[in-house]
Amino acid sequence: MIGRGTKVTTQTIGRGLEGLVAGESQISRIDGTKGRLRYRGYAIEDLAAYVSFEEVSYLILRGELPDRDALDEWKRKLVHWRRAPRPAIDVLKSLPKHAHPLAQFRTAMSIAACHIPEAGDTSESAEWRRPARILAWTSDLAAASIRHIRGEKPVAPRDDLGNAAHILWQALGREPDPDDTRAFETCLIVHAEHGLHAAALAALTVASTGADLGGAVLAGMGALSGMLHGGASQTAYEMLRQLDSPADAREWARRKLEEGHRFAGFGHRVYKTHDPRVRLLEPYAERLLERSGRSQRWDVFRALRDEVEGALGGKGIYLNVDGITGLIYEPLGLPVESFSIPFCLAIQTGWMAHCLEYMPDGRVIEPASVYVSSD
Amino acid sequence: MSVVRRRTGCRTLAPKHRMRYRPAMSESNQPDESSARSAPCRAEPLDWPVTCRVGPGLDGAIATETRVSCVDGETASLRYRGVPIEDLAGSVTFEEAAGLLIEDIRLSSPEETKREWRDRVRASRELPPEVEAIVRSLPSDTHPTRLLRAGVSALGCFELAPGDDLAGSQQWSDDRIVGQITALAAAVARHRRGQSPKRTDPTHSLAEGLLTAIQDQTPSSDAVDTLDLCLVVCADQGMDAPTFTSMIVGSCEADPYYNVVAGLSALSGPRVGGAAEAILDAITAVDDEDDARRWVRQALSNGHPIPGFGHRVYRSIDPRVAILRERAHTFATHAYAPRVSEADPTATSGVSGEALLQIARAVEDEATQQLAPKGIHANVNIYASVLFHMLGAEPELVPCLIAAGRVAGLVARVREYLGQNRIFRPVSHYVGPAERPFTPPEER
Repeated sequence: MIGRGTKVTTQTIGRGLEGLVAGESQISRIDGTKGRLRYRGYAIEDLAAYVSFEEVSYLILRGELPDRDALDEWKRKLVHWRRAPRPAIDVLKSLPKHAHPLAQFRTAMSIAACHIPEAGDTSESAEWRRPARILAWTSDLAAASIRHIRGEKPVAPRDDLGNAAHILWQALGREPDPDDTRAFETCLIVHAEHGLHAAALAALTVASTGADLGGAVLAGMGALSGMLHGGASQTAYEMLRQLDSPADAREWARRKLEEGHRFAGFGHRVYKTHDPRVRLLEPYAERLLERSGRSQRWDVFRALRDEVEGALGGKGIYLNVDGITGLIYEPLGLPVESFSIPFCLAIQTGWMAHCLEYMPDGRVIEPASVYVSSD
Repeated sequence: MSVVRRRTGCRTLAPKHRMRYRPAMSESNQPDESSARSAPCRAEPLDWPVTCRVGPGLDGAIATETRVSCVDGETASLRYRGVPIEDLAGSVTFEEAAGLLIEDIRLSSPEETKREWRDRVRASRELPPEVEAIVRSLPSDTHPTRLLRAGVSALGCFELAPGDDLAGSQQWSDDRIVGQITALAAAVARHRRGQSPKRTDPTHSLAEGLLTAIQDQTPSSDAVDTLDLCLVVCADQGMDAPTFTSMIVGSCEADPYYNVVAGLSALSGPRVGGAAEAILDAITAVDDEDDARRWVRQALSNGHPIPGFGHRVYRSIDPRVAILRERAHTFATHAYAPRVSEADPTATSGVSGEALLQIARAVEDEATQQLAPKGIHANVNIYASVLFHMLGAEPELVPCLIAAGRVAGLVARVREYLGQNRIFRPVSHYVGPAERPFTPPEER
């Protein structure tokens, strides 16, 4: 476990803690050379093919896929907490319309945190009660925040839909068809955990101080709100949207490649080959775009991708998951400026798992800084 | 609200406090670690990548180089931008220390530069009425750090003008938060006590404005000076967990209000800012010095850490403890005591500042006797919380006041890191189950 024990190692670290092995974890294995991702030993391909987000979140948090009874109990808890405190939703009305959607979502979450009966209880048993409430409340608040962008009233939660379908129902105000649901659910599954990326590290650092899990998630969300992190899916999508045709995309990419441009949605600190999550999302993106009469965008995407990977693949730069997520979110009807919000609803699962794994005896996370005299 | 708590005769911490601040490491002998480790100060910039010894909690892992402050455990010294803390505490105002940390504005800087900075942080205290209303709409018994965090979050939503480009953080002026957070802390303090909102006098210094709100009267100049000293001492703690959290969030190019929201989440932790509240809870709950010593012995024999003790870097004396202890001595006789009766302005409640100090000294003394051989000494939290209490803050409010000071160091370090930004992304070593085949639910 990261931070546990007394082991001291000698390590060579680059800027941004690159290359630092922060510790041990049992949650996910990312093989950046082979392009493979496993949660708790299960290949992401199997999970994307066979299971629900509810099962995946249970797996990530608890370490095992649930049996029938455990799954029913977990689903019941997630449904039980579907109604976030009303003041947290109402606050959106008093915030300026032009505020960033993530700042509004953050405020709704901060208000909700003032309405938790056991807020001050950060004992371990209380922390284990929190994930279901956090997953469910944030979905309610996320949907309200997304609707608020469009000036639409929040949609009341209901109990008869699975997690993925329910998020879409609340955010869009219409019941999604099974294709939409599965596309979105696949996003939730492949986004649910990804090691110690910056947002997970932010969450873990907060948890290491003994603060509550909700505060940790809020910090993770902060990192994710950054344009270099979760914001990348928005930037990548906006880049595609400006390209009219595959020929246009190829020409633009060639020109930018010559300038040494860094393409949003390409390249990854860990994956130096194809991102396995991309492959799982591709068929959904293609189908959704086709169905909404925008196959052209898919062709533009392919052209850009071929061009960039053709030129930079040798350097280990390939399309990453941010580069394709927007091609699912947008045809589903989610607003471009809010792309980080549904992403957060999935990946907070991994953050919470890392926090819960660390908490029993992890030390406060405080790396060193070296003072350099200004003289 | 009674500020110095009436002695209730309870012998140990009230159970609710113990539950709330159950330390995550109660079985270990490591108490809260309220500041970051820092490798020795050096003149040359680092040559990345660097090789270092890394222990649990990323201890020793070099995350960045800094010119903001130097925490040197070897010589037990702390310097902000090269200036020893002893030369700052008691001599400069908090806004001057913030200017030094964030903008490298020194006493020797041109008057105009200093005035501009001062005016800018003071002017930022005017909160949008909607933000004050949002804070006031929250349950007043919510923990103040949560109220403060909600306020900072809401405030960030008002900092952009319509039509501003949302991509990128340059539209936000990151140092406005320095003044704003004192105004929010003041609003939180008054809301908790059921007092009406009070507009900050724009000519007041940050410390005076905050103290006027907390004491609900014009504070003495001694008191303002003491709050300045406390805020200056709390302004930077090296790269501790709250600061590092803000830097991680900042490295992703989030808006600066999100950096602070995230930092506040970490600061609320019982092993960081929460420790100051916990030790003050303990000090105000015991009857006298003997009782205090008994409490320390009992806690230690039960394997509980003593909040306010222990430090990642300072293995001996934390230079700030002496500064704060000395001020606590000189200020004790002037400690603020709230009136309990409108009819009789001299009638006050609670124990005196001197009695409070005696108890704090007994706690320090007893804990030091037992913990010093293990290299665990008092940290900044114990006397900072005592002083904040003497100034009129109840224990729960103390982390908000620490936050008001800390925001300066936090903004300075995030801004510095963004100057040569690289997103923080370490890896972990996988030790979980080997690859396993998927099984349908009925076969699990």
